Amino acid sequence: MLSRGAAKKVTIYVNEDTRRHMDTLWSAILRFLRHKRVAGATALRPIAGFGSHEVIHSPGEEVRGEHMPVRIEFIESAEKVDELLPTLYEMVEDGLIEVQDTHMVKAAVKGRNPVPHTPHAEIKGPAKMIRIFLGEADRLNGEPLFEAIVKRLMMMEVAGATVYRGILGYGAKRHTHKEARFRISSDLPIVISVVDTSSRTEEILDAVASMLQDGLIVISEVEAHRFTHSLPTQEVINAPAPAS
Amino acid sequence: MLPRQPAKLLHLHFSEEDRYDNVPLHEAIAKTCLDLGIAGMTVFRGLEGYGESAALHRRRVLARDQPIVVTIVESPENIDKLMARIGKMLGAGITAISDVETIRIQNGAIQK
Repeated sequence: MLSRGAAKKVTIYVNEDTRRHMDTLWSAILRFLRHKRVAGATALRPIAGFGSHEVIHSPGEEVRGEHMPVRIEFIESAEKVDELLPTLYEMVEDGLIEVQDTHMVKAAVKGRNPVPHTPHAEIKGPAKMIRIFLGEADRLNGEPLFEAIVKRLMMMEVAGATVYRGILGYGAKRHTHKEARFRISSDLPIVISVVDTSSRTEEILDAVASMLQDGLIVISEVEAHRFTHSLPTQEVINAPAPAS
Repeated sequence: MLPRQPAKLLHLHFSEEDRYDNVPLHEAIAKTCLDLGIAGMTVFRGLEGYGESAALHRRRVLARDQPIVVTIVESPENIDKLMARIGKMLGAGITAISDVETIRIQNGAIQK
């Protein structure tokens, strides 16, 4: 399982018909990566290409279409890539290996057994409460602004955010937002309240301020008494699923 | 660090049933805020709650008697001015004031 942050992307180019022992090289590489528990790897067949032999390989050129290029890609942590590279270097006798720095944004596994919860942990300490005042009708790139802000905060792994809808109010633009009795009004006041540790305040404010066109951000000091499931450790995530 | 202004955050808690001059109290307060030139205010309706009368305020079949919270962020002077006007309008209920810092954004620009 990969975690967010810096990672390495490895791309290997080989020929489809290059063999290694009793198998094709590309499937030998894939099996090696799976054996080493790499998070995931993909073998792709490009439609045409040429390599150091300066021969264009494409289905039209190849009578049986079997000397085509194959590209294998995978993303892993820098340590894991360092561990794998010597073997890959030895395996690829005719081809190319490329490593580039990348940034993992999300690596989610659907349907995997849920990670067992560790007992509740209490996180105590000074924190900030940030309240963001905006209108329900405010939009950013065609989507409701409050949703865009919550999604952004979620991606930043901010501890939590709650959206409240008011029934009446006015703000900078001095027009009154009011709930109508028999109509689903869609321009009511909205407040998003966010609590996280003081160390993250500036990062959150910068992100929110850049999204707001008109609005108010209110910051207050709070004391956090937070009961959470403590975050699972990397060992727990990597442990094989129990046999069922 | 984004520029911030010190301000006061005022919370008024009362019931949706409360009235002043035959209009719902929260609407009367909204009007007073506009008259006084208060920068903004927001009214929230809670789902359920109880307060000084120890009776549960909740939505009933025909009547709405849910808790109401009014939030106002303003300078200390304007909060004092407002409290002088609405103090007598509030019957039972609670008023809480806390110190906050604010960032105001208008037309995409942060107000200094």
